Amino acid sequence: MDIMVAALPAFLASAVEFVEALTIVLAVGVTRQWRSTLIGAGAAVVVLAAIVGIFGSAIVLLVPIDVLRLVVGGFLVIYGLQWLVKAILRAGGATSKHDEDAIYAARVSAMRAEPPVPARGMDWISFTVAFKGVLLEGMEVAFIVVTFGASAGQLGPAILGATLAGLLVLAVGIAVHRPLARVPENGLKFAVGLMLTTFGTFWAGEGVGVAWPWSDATLIVLLAVFAIGSLLAVRIVQARLQAASTARLAPVR
Amino acid sequence: MNSTAGRYLRAFGAFWYDFLVGDRPELFVGSIAILAAVWVGVQVGLQPGLASLVMTVLVLGLAAASLWRATRPTRGR
Repeated sequence: MDIMVAALPAFLASAVEFVEALTIVLAVGVTRQWRSTLIGAGAAVVVLAAIVGIFGSAIVLLVPIDVLRLVVGGFLVIYGLQWLVKAILRAGGATSKHDEDAIYAARVSAMRAEPPVPARGMDWISFTVAFKGVLLEGMEVAFIVVTFGASAGQLGPAILGATLAGLLVLAVGIAVHRPLARVPENGLKFAVGLMLTTFGTFWAGEGVGVAWPWSDATLIVLLAVFAIGSLLAVRIVQARLQAASTARLAPVR
Repeated sequence: MNSTAGRYLRAFGAFWYDFLVGDRPELFVGSIAILAAVWVGVQVGLQPGLASLVMTVLVLGLAAASLWRATRPTRGR
């Protein structure tokens, strides 16, 4: 159970971010040069691993757990609510859903507008775009791995969860050789947003002096409350949009 | 050298701003305000058990407020 506390959110969040990173890598590799693209993506993974290793270990070793849970909990509430609100708006139809095929097409088009690939040696455009794309998408994963891992005292399982997600996305990407448009990204973001908000509220609450009534078991109650509230919010967003649409169509007297 | 350092610093700041504040500043400000309010409440005698209920309701309220803000009709549309 304790292992899953850190591993599951890290796995789900990583799956979402690595799907997005895969789209960038595929677009660059297909249109320009695979070798430079893969070196760029690999370099970004090394940098991310170093960030998680250095910051994760430093935080676990140096920061007292009470301070850690307050600060990390606060960050997780902010970050979790951002993911959750975005997912609710997408599920309710207020904003467009993430479309990997459309993003891939836009990336390929942008890459074709770049100067031609050099005949020999590294293509630094491929390297830079792949490096930057994987690093930026991976930073969110690193943030979640470090915060969850450190606060739950489960840095290893969090890293394992993220690594498994990365390998899974990579394996499927190699197998299908196209963007993973069928992955239910919004559903995953919904789940991750719920988890981050739940754990963030719990840990930050402990940090400011809240006594949760059923100790750690309160996490399940909080998750259920936030899940029910979010599903209700999706309905309300849909109703508001429908009401706004009807009002616009109503004849002017 | 200074301009390069400044550029990296600005980019670093912009990254974290985008990461934590983004296009929903109310979630950033609101979350900090909730934590501060609950901390003050506990310090002045709010029962820690009751504080758990207050905190949960405030977090739900903040999400609702952000959703309301995102879906409100724009003037002149």
